[in-house]
Amino acid sequence: MTTTDNDIISELKNKFGEAILMVQPTRDEFPTVWVDAAHIAEVLKYLKNEISKPYKMLYDLTAIDEQAKVHKVHPGSKFTIVYLLLSFDRNNFIRIKVPLSSDKPSVTSITKIWPAANWYEREVYDMFGVNFEGHPHLRRILMPGTWKGHPLQKCHPARATEMGPFQLPEDKQDEEQDMLKFKPEEWGLSKSNDDEEFMFLNLGPQHPGTHGVLRLVLQLDGESIVNVVPDIGFHHRGAEKMGERQSWHTYIPYTDRVEYLGGVMNNFPYVMCVEKLAGIQIPDRAKVIRIMMSELFRISSHLVWYGTFAQDLGMMTPVFLTFYDREKLFGIVEAITGDRMHPNWFRIGGVAQDLPNGWEKMVKDFLDYFPKRLKEYDKMVMRNNIFKARTVGIGVYTTEEAIEWGVTGAGLRATGFEWDFRKKQPYSGYEQFEFDIPTAQNGDCYDRALVRVEEMRQSLRIIQQCLDNMPEGPYKSDHPATTPPIKKYTMIHIETLINHFLNVTWGPVIPAGEAFVGVEATKGHNGYYLTSDGSTGSYRTRIRTPSFPHMQFVPEISRGYTIPDLLAILGSVDYVLSDVDR
Amino acid sequence: MKWWTTKANDPTTVIKGNSSFEETVQQSVVLTTMESMVAWGRKNSIWPFNFGLSCCYVEMATSITSKYDVARFGAEVIRGTPREADMMIVAGTVFIKMAPIIKRLYEQMMAPRWIIAMGACASSGGMYDIYSVVQGVDKFMPVDVYVPGCPPRPDAFLEGIVLLRDKVGKEKRPLNWVIGPQGIVRPDMPAQRDLKRAERMKMTEIRPPDEV
Repeated sequence: MTTTDNDIISELKNKFGEAILMVQPTRDEFPTVWVDAAHIAEVLKYLKNEISKPYKMLYDLTAIDEQAKVHKVHPGSKFTIVYLLLSFDRNNFIRIKVPLSSDKPSVTSITKIWPAANWYEREVYDMFGVNFEGHPHLRRILMPGTWKGHPLQKCHPARATEMGPFQLPEDKQDEEQDMLKFKPEEWGLSKSNDDEEFMFLNLGPQHPGTHGVLRLVLQLDGESIVNVVPDIGFHHRGAEKMGERQSWHTYIPYTDRVEYLGGVMNNFPYVMCVEKLAGIQIPDRAKVIRIMMSELFRISSHLVWYGTFAQDLGMMTPVFLTFYDREKLFGIVEAITGDRMHPNWFRIGGVAQDLPNGWEKMVKDFLDYFPKRLKEYDKMVMRNNIFKARTVGIGVYTTEEAIEWGVTGAGLRATGFEWDFRKKQPYSGYEQFEFDIPTAQNGDCYDRALVRVEEMRQSLRIIQQCLDNMPEGPYKSDHPATTPPIKKYTMIHIETLINHFLNVTWGPVIPAGEAFVGVEATKGHNGYYLTSDGSTGSYRTRIRTPSFPHMQFVPEISRGYTIPDLLAILGSVDYVLSDVDR
Repeated sequence: MKWWTTKANDPTTVIKGNSSFEETVQQSVVLTTMESMVAWGRKNSIWPFNFGLSCCYVEMATSITSKYDVARFGAEVIRGTPREADMMIVAGTVFIKMAPIIKRLYEQMMAPRWIIAMGACASSGGMYDIYSVVQGVDKFMPVDVYVPGCPPRPDAFLEGIVLLRDKVGKEKRPLNWVIGPQGIVRPDMPAQRDLKRAERMKMTEIRPPDEV
């Protein structure tokens, strides 16, 4: 921990005294402070509003069921609530933990301090059964309303096959359909104002404009949107529970499928987090290969966004062209990794294999080919007057609002705030690359598009540098926890053989501890918060995805606009439902 | 049915034949049964429902775009409403929260209707044996073609469409609900694994991964 971290801890201790229970050292070296449940609201309010260089962003809020843990940090805690705050002035995180020792855990809601806590607290309630006192709508968010139990509690079964065969008889079908009926009163929405009766319009979960299984209920006054209530959870795949069941190594394929357009970009924070827990140093070649593949996927993901966004606004042609370019990219990805969308190619300690002979030419051809196409798209989309009319001045927000609601990525940079984790907290050697952080000024749909388009050009620059300066050397670390282990160390003596055997069958044992690692992913800042209990699998896997807060923010930026504007806003936010629901 | 085209700059040749009545009839009249004509029409214009659940949907959308072009198989008329569609591609994971909605959408489709389970999740739950996922869409809906993969490549999806076309072309459906045998006669659909096994076993050299 640095001296400034020690400062903040002593500042908290001075101010709150007994309420600060203890300070926990963690592998990620974030200041981590346990706070008494009775004082959590004051502490958070202090950190957000009162100290110098405040922690303005509620970056994540989650919980851990500690009941099955061997290496307990706080012996009395059954459920621990974890708040992760981000300070842009300090360029640092702080983690606040609250132990709850009751069988019916309950803690004060912080929605009055951060409105963005609303969905996070609902998620913790849904997944862990923790009550939040003073929460405006504490109800299930991911699971269906008819669900029994709280899935992330250790006593809840993980597998579908443990829970009996799925059946959908007619009475159950009717019950579920009834459950989906929207009752405005439950949400505190009035059915009319003084002169008009409102219309409630159901958009989704099956609608071409929602880009997946998302449901939005719109409260309309004629044409204009009074309120939007997003209903999510239709894409909940239990990725976090899956992390508790798989070994460290066999969880990697599941990460690909969280934010399924980002491919190996999703492996990136996960493997880095495991490496941090295990203390593995990565060889330079593996670092640069990882960066190159991630940037290829950034372009691929942005191309999907580019085409579909234009299509949302009524343009048919761009989607065919951008998908054609994406196929070119997939040609490279396939030659290197052997798969298209979910290569599952990063490994704990490196990457799956070395780059194949002839990769340079493929990458070079793409670098020569793609800038011309981007220019063409500029003419076709970005300078198109109808496109501008549909996007300029629509869905506007300021930097302050974005920070308040936990917005990261292009959505934050489009407000004029130059913040990119690749520059601010460089990982995997990004500090050695030359690239700019594209920003825009107005924070509207058009500017968000502008930033993403420019990001593709910057990614090309990074890939060019990878191509020119690819280091020689191993593509995998020789650390014993590297998975799968390097074969040449096997046949030395019996110990090495046993190590190899155990590492291949059970996978590595990662020392107890916890760490958070995030990357600047395609949609925003994507991070994994892993807790190891000193075994072959994770004790708790928390995936902090950017699309979750972005989706929560959509109602805030849609009020007063019309339905076609809402579709432009949804397209410009660039979310993926698997990234929202996990 | 036999047909052909001539190229624009082919040299014109002397018309063969003697322009007799029999010959003209041979060239312009097609004799078939009503049943097979309807089946032929169905087979060549399957309208898919614009429906997607997760990752597989992106590969399905890719198969509509230029490189793969599902229009070659007559299945490019994507419909936004189930009431106008013939085929539903369950592209992605079948979530328990989504299952009642999928069933309802299926029920809104008019017969004849077909289902393709695209990808491992829709076929069997795939790698998601987890509390929130139904282990295959066939737990509550009939499926005509299963396409394996996670996600299946667009090529694999197109093969699924081709298989479904074969099936639709061979299916016998009554054209009248009073006269003749009732009920649908479906052709046998053996697993492709068995059909292709012999050919696959011939492959002895596998390309090493260290060459592009």
